[in-house]
Amino acid sequence: MAAATQMQPHRGGSGYVARSSSSGLYDVLELILDKGLVIDVFVRVSLIGIEILTIDARIVIASVDTYLRFAEAVNRLDLMQTETQGLPDMMEGLSEGGAESKTKGVLQGAKEALFGDEDEDEEGEDGGGSQRRTSSTTTRHRRKSSQSGKPSRSKRTSKS
Amino acid sequence: MSEMSATYVYGIVRAGDDPPADEAGLHDERVQLVAQEGLAALTSEVPEDFVEAGREELLTHSRVLENAVRRGSVVLPMRFGVVMPDAKGVREELLAPYRDELQGQLEEMDGKVEVNLKGIHDEQSVLSEIVREDREIAELREAIRGKPQDATYYERIRLGELIAEALDDKRAEVAPTLIEALRPYAVAVQVGEPVHERMALNASFLVERDRLDKFDKVVDEIGEKEAGRLRLRYTGPLPPHSFVELGVGG
Repeated sequence: MAAATQMQPHRGGSGYVARSSSSGLYDVLELILDKGLVIDVFVRVSLIGIEILTIDARIVIASVDTYLRFAEAVNRLDLMQTETQGLPDMMEGLSEGGAESKTKGVLQGAKEALFGDEDEDEEGEDGGGSQRRTSSTTTRHRRKSSQSGKPSRSKRTSKS
Repeated sequence: MSEMSATYVYGIVRAGDDPPADEAGLHDERVQLVAQEGLAALTSEVPEDFVEAGREELLTHSRVLENAVRRGSVVLPMRFGVVMPDAKGVREELLAPYRDELQGQLEEMDGKVEVNLKGIHDEQSVLSEIVREDREIAELREAIRGKPQDATYYERIRLGELIAEALDDKRAEVAPTLIEALRPYAVAVQVGEPVHERMALNASFLVERDRLDKFDKVVDEIGEKEAGRLRLRYTGPLPPHSFVELGVGG
């Protein structure tokens, strides 16, 4: 109680951590949708557009498209001369933004379609991607998001 | 819009807490407290046919809860999308039957906040690490290199699959280490599913406000130590979404 001012986002520190308060919708999406008090019979409102983001993100981890993107990304590492073992040092020399931009369009491509550029956005202030996706009329019940949240398992079983 | 209205529920506070001062909730309807025996629900009227919502509504839900916290309330957040028939329903179906449980959780959550922490591997860094560490991946990569894409379709899928598995292994290695480093500063931890392919950590921590500075300091230290390798995203302080639950009820 009575600690209202302490609820302001804590900022500063080392500068290595991206911080936001809960207005950073993307980062709290699954909390608001999957957590909290609930009486099942009174859950009535379903989300259009946004909810799909969390579900798709989990499914996409174990898809062929993801594998192909990983493969492409790892082949592109040539450009970074991975073999020279000098990479850790090199990484330190690169600004994070610089390192990211080189592979943008590989792993980033599909994710941006889902989330906008949230991951790269230091503030991540909203689900920019959600609006782009609201054209989808599919409405799924939020329960699906937790059921589909086990991509690694199905992937593992498909191994060998 | 229908003539009839229903009651949207944002969360539960204590009946004696400061009420929202003319705050607009969903559909610009005023946020009101519905009180019953020491408990109060943060509610607003919504149209009877309110069944679909988007980003705006989610943000409103979140904001109403946050504002209650700012007023000094201990808040038990409801999951997004709970609509009850009317104020009477809120009293009779929520506040009365779950009274003891809700009181107990308000007690428990007093002075505590949730912090959600996500750690995302830097792509260049983690992929390079994987190639260096995993011989099979390194060899497959060499074998594919320079060859036309069409001729190596299945090899590339296999390579990607191995990388995805290696990322899983990294996740299994990184997440517990980070969680253990932070656990001493938290009251409880909830580990969530990764929501991004390079996400190594997605965890919520219940932290006492008094200890938040210490918790934050450790997060900063981890962030600095992992710089270039892992990017941390910190969201909070939040109402304790991940640490409240209703049982079967009375």
